[in-house]
Amino acid sequence: MLVFANPVFLWALTAAAIPLMLHMFQRRRTVVTPFPTLRFLKAAQKRSSSRVRFENILLWLLRTLLLLMLGFAFAMPVIRTTAAGSWLSRTRRDVAIVLDASYSMNYELDRGKVWETCKDAAAAVIEGLLPGDRVCVYLAAETPIPVIEKPTTEHATVIQAIRALTCLPGSSKLDEAVATALAALEQQEGRREREIYVMTDGQSLPWQGFRDAAKQDETVNNEDLAVITREQRDAVSFFAMLAGAKTPENSWPADVKVSPLIMLSGQTARLNVRVGHSGAAKQITVGVEIDGQERGRRSVTPEADSETGVEFVINGLEPGIHIARITTPPDALPEDDEFLCLLRVRKQLPALIVGPQSATRYLKAALAPGAADEGVRQIDAAELDSVDLRDYQAVFLCDAFPLAGQAVIRLEEYAHNGGVVIVFPGDRAEIAAYEDMGVLPAQPQSVENIPVEVSARPLRRIPNSPEQIVNFNMSLPPGTVPTIALKRVMRLGEMRESAAILITAGDDTPLLAGRAVGRGRAFMFTVNADRDWSTFPLTAFFLPVAHQLIRQGAGASIQPPHVVLGTQPPVNEVIPEHRADDIISTPSGSQLALRDTGNRTYIIENLSEPGIYTRAKAGADAPEPVMAANTDRTESHLIPVAPAELEEWTSFKKLFVANDPEELIKLVDEYRNGRSLAEICLWLALLLALIEWWYANRILRKQTGASEKLVVDLAGKVVT
Amino acid sequence: MNEGIAAFLNPAQMAKLNRLALNSRYVVEGTLAGRHRSAQKGASTEFADHRAYMPGDDLKRIDWKVLGRTDKYFVRRYQDETNLRVYLLLDRSGSMGYSSSPDLPSKFKYACTLAAAMSYVVLKSRDAVGMCIYGEKLDASLPCKNSFKVLNNSLKILQGYKPSKGTAGADVMHQIAESINRRAMIVIISDLLDDQPEIIKALAHFRKKLHDVIVLHTLDPVELNLDLKRGAEFEDMENGERLIADPRSLAKEYKDLMGEFIGNYRKSCAEMKIDYRLVKTDEPIDTFVRAYLEERKRLSR
Repeated sequence: MLVFANPVFLWALTAAAIPLMLHMFQRRRTVVTPFPTLRFLKAAQKRSSSRVRFENILLWLLRTLLLLMLGFAFAMPVIRTTAAGSWLSRTRRDVAIVLDASYSMNYELDRGKVWETCKDAAAAVIEGLLPGDRVCVYLAAETPIPVIEKPTTEHATVIQAIRALTCLPGSSKLDEAVATALAALEQQEGRREREIYVMTDGQSLPWQGFRDAAKQDETVNNEDLAVITREQRDAVSFFAMLAGAKTPENSWPADVKVSPLIMLSGQTARLNVRVGHSGAAKQITVGVEIDGQERGRRSVTPEADSETGVEFVINGLEPGIHIARITTPPDALPEDDEFLCLLRVRKQLPALIVGPQSATRYLKAALAPGAADEGVRQIDAAELDSVDLRDYQAVFLCDAFPLAGQAVIRLEEYAHNGGVVIVFPGDRAEIAAYEDMGVLPAQPQSVENIPVEVSARPLRRIPNSPEQIVNFNMSLPPGTVPTIALKRVMRLGEMRESAAILITAGDDTPLLAGRAVGRGRAFMFTVNADRDWSTFPLTAFFLPVAHQLIRQGAGASIQPPHVVLGTQPPVNEVIPEHRADDIISTPSGSQLALRDTGNRTYIIENLSEPGIYTRAKAGADAPEPVMAANTDRTESHLIPVAPAELEEWTSFKKLFVANDPEELIKLVDEYRNGRSLAEICLWLALLLALIEWWYANRILRKQTGASEKLVVDLAGKVVT
Repeated sequence: MNEGIAAFLNPAQMAKLNRLALNSRYVVEGTLAGRHRSAQKGASTEFADHRAYMPGDDLKRIDWKVLGRTDKYFVRRYQDETNLRVYLLLDRSGSMGYSSSPDLPSKFKYACTLAAAMSYVVLKSRDAVGMCIYGEKLDASLPCKNSFKVLNNSLKILQGYKPSKGTAGADVMHQIAESINRRAMIVIISDLLDDQPEIIKALAHFRKKLHDVIVLHTLDPVELNLDLKRGAEFEDMENGERLIADPRSLAKEYKDLMGEFIGNYRKSCAEMKIDYRLVKTDEPIDTFVRAYLEERKRLSR
């Protein structure tokens, strides 16, 4: 519908008659000029009449159109985008603003950070509302965060709240935030015009939910699967501002894998760094600092929009916790240029040996050759209740059965939480005593004496099958067949779930079986740790097998070198040896909030701050680093979304896409008030004026050229 | 106020024209001895042919050398030389009154001056000049005499004429062609804005009478180019008809048409061996006459 903002200027359209009037007026003013004969003039007029008429009509049209356009421009014609546009602009409206709070919004452009641009645009949209219009604000993060939950008419307060917002370290899901905002609008009373504004950097990742919903629409054709229904999409006006870079460039350390996970002093550590890159292929220098000291710098050239790997070898790490900092060169998105992890280096793996002195002497001698070695402790079974198992990586039960029920429960819990339980049978307990220990690879069936003539048994490692959960990779020395003499052996029943026989003595007698239990391991030998049942403790393989078992278990229970923000991990999984009275501090210095889920298990409630978390133990001198947290780097893959894709994914009936705040405000203005054609009219008038000037001059030049003088030479000949 | 030839030519112009001569390219018939070849055999130094002696012939003309060789009497004949009679036909039709600028003379004024200049050259060569003035009819036929006095009288008469209203150039030309019996030179000074085929027929009539014809086609520069800057209502100077036109938009077509018009005359004159010259009124008379006569002299050698 076309309306005029200044209809009084429509009178100016009468100016279109000026060229015609001038033409007519000019005719009346002609001067009578005597001329020798009119015959040539008449003939010339006849010849040129069609051309002259055409030129005159064209000039008249151009001049008339020029004046019409000027008249229209002053009258300011406006096209309403909806049929009822004239009253739409005056109606009340409910507005929801969704700000993408992912860390990619910190991308630095020439005009500043995208985040600040989006906040400015949001403020501008609110300032453009009429008094009485209601507005609510939501942050799009992993889960929608309400800033102004219920639509309010206090515009100044809302703008103040928006100005105070900061970007979050994680990624975002726009579909959930939009659905939440839409629900908030729908809860309001009265039928008002509803508008949703999404301020984002224009990366495709936050729109993934919309894309998945669109695919489900296509494949399943079930609209219930979509978060936002078709009716909702048709009813709301959806404005999206994609304020980010159109061809973004970013490089970041995506992930770091540390091997080995348990490092002993003097061991070589390998850091396998994945480096991601968005944009055209270019060389990136990756650096590694350990405890603030640079330990390596390598250049890689990843392909466009891809990831590549680079490995660093770190030597000479002392026992303790070291902070490793992996960096890429500074770029427009500095939030992901640093990756932190902790390297835990130990002097020795702590182990607890439970059992009588007679049954444990070989094991203790093997694991702790020094008399005062603090890493290995031997206790009686009765003392088990007084020991905190979390201080040890492995617990050896050597002829320790029968155990008290509470002790069995603690051992099982210990195994489930990542500990290693290694059982050597003995003569003190009946077979039934092992039944309570449910974490064992198999239920013992009987104890059998081996005749002397078949006592010599070669040891054989059973190769790991592909689906096997418990792995045992120790290779036996080449060219030798280790042999033991069996005197007595415990027969095992059927292997339990996730259990496997790892070593056999001879063809049919299992020597060692293992089982994955929760995050830990349980192993069971079929001979005792003394020389009564076999010569195994006396062989050269006893110690390597014991060390291998400890390391296997320790690898399963060790805390990861780094964690990802946005998760809610149990404390024990990420912080070693945590006690209730420990105080965990965030990188900014505040105390980390933990939630007790019962059963003495704590969960980190809100892991939202990247950096090194420290722990202050009661009575300790200084806090120690316990956890390195990094942002999830999926948001670092900067892939801009095209407006056409947005249209396809979101399926909003009234979708308006802008690339900057000015365009957004213009779109809003056009939507609410209609699209002004005054500027177009002025441009057209200018164009017409230029065409008229050019054409009139062309005609004039042509006439001058045509009337080149007839030159008569001395011979009286006409020379043209 | 000057009268006669002084009214048209100043002494400087006359001095420039003094040594020029208007030669006929063909034999002419005159009454006096002169420098032009006559159609008659007569007394001169230039031998023409022999003829048999007839009783009554002057004995002085017998070629005795031929008698000695052939024993027959033959009389020597010599080319007669006579004076040239030039008739100037001056158009005073309505269109001849046109002048595109106050600085330029009208075509009629220019034609009169041109006639005076040509007459002066002719008389200076001791030839006879006559003048016919015509508009819608033959207005005056002034005698063809070898006398400055007569010429002055003729020019005085000419001074009294103004351009008439209409034109009847072709009819008058036929009339004059019939009236001149002896071979003479006819100089037509006109803008020839008449019925073109009729004019060409009239010219042919002159040629049939074996006259040497010169056409001095007199036009104003604006007539040729239509170099007018503003639109106007044009009025035909002969019939009073009016036409509103924008000369700027018509210039191209007008120039083409005028080119065709002049080209037709040029072509027809060339076919009839008539000397055709286009004269623009912005050219100085003496310069034109001098250039024209010298070129004519050069071409007639």
